[in-house]
Amino acid sequence: MLYLLLIFFPVTMALSTFVLRKRTELVIFAALGAVLAQMLIATQIPLDDPTRFLGVTLTFNALSRTFMLVFLTLGGFAFVGAWHLPHGENFVPITLLTLAQVGTVLLLQDPFITTLLLASTGLTAVLAIVDLPAGASNLVGTRAIAAALKYLVLMVVAAVLMYIAFVLTDIFRPGELPGRISPARFILALLTVSFALRLALVPFHTWLTDLVDFAEPLVAAVVITLLNTTSLLVLILVFQSFPTLLFESEAALGVMRLGAIVSAVVAGMLALAPASLRHTMAYLVLYNGGMVFYGLASASPIGLAGAIFGALNQTFAVLLLFVSLALLERPDGRTPGVTRHDLLRRWPIAGAGLLASGLSLLGLPPFNGAVSHMLIYQAAAAKGWVELLALLAGTLLAGLGLVRVAAAHLLGPGEEAVAAEPLLLGETELDRPAVRRLAPEPRSTAALTLTLLLICLGIGLYPQPFLATIDETIRGLAFIRAL
Amino acid sequence: MQINWFIIGIGLTAAVVLLFRDWRVTVTALLLNYLALTLFLAEQRFVAPDLNFLGLAVSTLVLIKLITGLAVTLILGITALTFEGEYGLESLDEFGLAELRRAARAAQRQRANEPFQMNDYVLPFWAGVLALLASLTLPRVYPIAPTEASDFAWYWLTLTGLLTVATAADLLKIGLGLLLCVSSIDLLYTSVVSTPQASGLNVAPLGLLSLFHILLALAVAYLSGLLYGRLKTLALSALYKR
Repeated sequence: MLYLLLIFFPVTMALSTFVLRKRTELVIFAALGAVLAQMLIATQIPLDDPTRFLGVTLTFNALSRTFMLVFLTLGGFAFVGAWHLPHGENFVPITLLTLAQVGTVLLLQDPFITTLLLASTGLTAVLAIVDLPAGASNLVGTRAIAAALKYLVLMVVAAVLMYIAFVLTDIFRPGELPGRISPARFILALLTVSFALRLALVPFHTWLTDLVDFAEPLVAAVVITLLNTTSLLVLILVFQSFPTLLFESEAALGVMRLGAIVSAVVAGMLALAPASLRHTMAYLVLYNGGMVFYGLASASPIGLAGAIFGALNQTFAVLLLFVSLALLERPDGRTPGVTRHDLLRRWPIAGAGLLASGLSLLGLPPFNGAVSHMLIYQAAAAKGWVELLALLAGTLLAGLGLVRVAAAHLLGPGEEAVAAEPLLLGETELDRPAVRRLAPEPRSTAALTLTLLLICLGIGLYPQPFLATIDETIRGLAFIRAL
Repeated sequence: MQINWFIIGIGLTAAVVLLFRDWRVTVTALLLNYLALTLFLAEQRFVAPDLNFLGLAVSTLVLIKLITGLAVTLILGITALTFEGEYGLESLDEFGLAELRRAARAAQRQRANEPFQMNDYVLPFWAGVLALLASLTLPRVYPIAPTEASDFAWYWLTLTGLLTVATAADLLKIGLGLLLCVSSIDLLYTSVVSTPQASGLNVAPLGLLSLFHILLALAVAYLSGLLYGRLKTLALSALYKR
């Protein structure tokens, strides 16, 4: 019963909020209530106690519960952010539906259903990308439609490849057909490409940069945090369910590691190139995705711990990044259409949030990404110094990209810092134009940014509880023990 | 050698989707493709018949596939028929309305300046030839399904679907390509997982596959409607024009 509630309660709430979508405040409150109820349900379900429903096994382990709670927390934060930040008319129902879909994926063991649910999350995300605010008097941008179309095509192609791979695993028997190329390599290749598409690894990354450029920041945050992280967890589940794939083609893991290194380094290089604030931050997300994937492809306990912890850290860092970005892009009372260089002075909390999220994605202390990056570096060092150096080069390049974008947009001198001129002859104070008073950051969003920043800092300073859960989960993964 | 007419039907209809541009032709071809696929599944009997439908013993699965195909083509057909309608104009400001008028003029100009050209069909034609060669070769080199006919059908549907997406000039055709790809995995799953050495068919993935067909068609119809409402054309060249 609790499993069904966890799946269908957010679906019904999504339908209800869709009906009431014009009443933004009410819908946000209802969604927050739904998220809290979901968290309560998630904590009530006993761990490792599988149940059958319509021939499908549903189960909940420590890792999936941790991520379920993290996703619900992120959903709650996104709803709070929607109070003041721009978002589409259907943002709340779509996010609730996405939470239901990713929640179901976390409960399931069946690879075929998981694939179809992952594909359907892609369809839901498409609706969010082209969503306009309630009562908008403008037209939806053609670039947003193009971004949605690209996302749709790539997610369906990823689902098709993944499904073919799972059909093959269903009939694949290790050691059969001696003398022929092992189907394990073919299956692993299909899975690698499909997950690379979903995780936006270079060169399959263009949907993510388009999404960040042309969708609302909150939508980009929901897609990257919920859907990409769920895809990574599904990949771990695949390795756990079909460990023979890895045993039969260990060389393929080397190729996967190489792909991850290329992704991290190329994303770092692209972050260095002159681009808009959004574009550069998208490359930092891509860099971090490459690092996380490397940890997984290293197929070692340390690397996998780094990957899982990195994926968890990425969710908070990315939400902080996009909430800060949305705040920085608000009309600030000054002349519009001018590239600002003093955003940290104008919006101190949002500017600090953006810098903190960038540092977290780079894995620099004291933020949460530091520990996961250290674990991934350790795993790379175990594979050889060349791989470690390549990852460090990627981090250096991405770091320089963050420095460039901070210097260009955040750390410039304040526009208001003009020296007071003495009064001219015959001029009085009243003759001068009134001092311009610029509105401060909205309180609720500033509080949200600070909360996310403190969470990133808190996890960075005290990661032990998360690491303990992750270590316990990894000990239970058969494929890691066997490798 | 016995000719399998349903395979020929699947092959020809998918080729029409790949080659032609007019939505009336391609959506009709998609409907016929679903029909041929349904008849092929009924003939191959991957699932034991449990229904008597118009005097024929068929499985419920076959009937579900037929209903799915009808629903998908209805969604796309009705969307395409209602493109000309104007919706949600009352909330637009003057700038939005002016932009729409400009887009309508640009689309009209584009249609007038784009007469029928054989060149537009060269790339899809050769792509189709390549797909045909690959679909005839792959079932021998890498057989996966229990019969060669099933192998040819799913390879052909996957390749024509992907090539339709790659060579498409408009959004609706991209959607048709994606639907062909989803049909191919549907066929692959049904034919392979129903074999004795596999885990066996499960109702949940089958139901979800049919639902996914319909949701994908809805997503494509929604995006097509949005694009047509914005640019008065479905052409990708207009979408990517800066």
